[in-house]
Amino acid sequence: MLSKFYKVQPWLTLLSRLVLGGVLLAAGALKVGNPQKSAMAVRAYEILPINIANFLGYVLPWMEVGVGTLLIIGVGVKISAAIGGFTMFVFIIAISQAWARGLSIDCGCFGGGGAVEPGETKYLSEILRDIGLTMLGIYLYRFPKGRFGLDK
Amino acid sequence: MSNSNNPDKGTRNLVIGMVAFIVLVGAVFSFISNKSSSTAKVPAAVSATDGYGIVLNANATPKIDVYVDYQCPICKNFEIINGGYLAEIAASGKAKIVYHPMTFIGAESILAANAAACAADEGKFLDMNIALFQNQSGTENSGLWTGDYMKRLGNSIGLKSAAFEKCVTDGTYVDWTKNVADASAKANVNGTPTVKVNGKDLDRNTEYMDPVKFKAALATGGVK
Repeated sequence: MLSKFYKVQPWLTLLSRLVLGGVLLAAGALKVGNPQKSAMAVRAYEILPINIANFLGYVLPWMEVGVGTLLIIGVGVKISAAIGGFTMFVFIIAISQAWARGLSIDCGCFGGGGAVEPGETKYLSEILRDIGLTMLGIYLYRFPKGRFGLDK
Repeated sequence: MSNSNNPDKGTRNLVIGMVAFIVLVGAVFSFISNKSSSTAKVPAAVSATDGYGIVLNANATPKIDVYVDYQCPICKNFEIINGGYLAEIAASGKAKIVYHPMTFIGAESILAANAAACAADEGKFLDMNIALFQNQSGTENSGLWTGDYMKRLGNSIGLKSAAFEKCVTDGTYVDWTKNVADASAKANVNGTPTVKVNGKDLDRNTEYMDPVKFKAALATGGVK
């Protein structure tokens, strides 16, 4: 049983890297071109002071691009997975609190974001997706070594 | 033991360094390209203290702030439902109205905001405001809105002066749109349309798309 796992683990690591890294890279790439909108999406959560929310709106998409790239090419997987997984974990909290407080926002995960019409929110699917991605991050942190990575 | 017995270490660090460099440069670029500029040319009706918005009835009270993006479809609906009443307020002088044309949807929003500002200089802001929403493309940045399109749209509402056309062609107020965006961000505007009466947001759940409730909300804010 265990030996079987050791056989598939490097492939699972590769798969997790590509999924988590791909999602991060896509999410970042869709947002870097429009920092105004990205900052708006962060502000819409109404958690952070406006200045910090705007700062994060500018920086976060680039961080996602960076971490996503590292995961895909397999460099610094452990730390990248920790950052990526932690980011997803924070998103879960942020989306949950928006839901609980009755805000009507788009998560702004892949561009978009900001206030939306009540009834157009998709909180549950956003949270489930981020839980899955957080778990991939945890798995990669535990098993960072896999196929086709630059890390040795 | 030196690192040289691990041939991949150098490559690895190089890659990490390159990625970190791109992230840093990108983030800095995002900041610089969106910073508001105190030297941007602004339309005559614009007041920096009112978030660089286009001000109608500068001395009236209460104050109504309207944040729109000309490419935002919900803003078009809002204009259809409540634009008439806002125009009525503007004409009667019952309140100060500040329009903030935001541009987060992209290039064609900037074209439109610039054209609206050019129209404001000719005293035809509200006409241009309506014309833009009436001629909104169904898709964001579809290529429908160009400089020439803005000139034709202006012409159709009687804006035929050389000054207006030059203003559209030169994109005189393009830099100003960044100031509007920056000020809107600081005012915590998180979506469009956003309407504030005396600085307080209307209730997004009920008061935007219902003309009766919209009127009532403005009345509560002091619009008699």
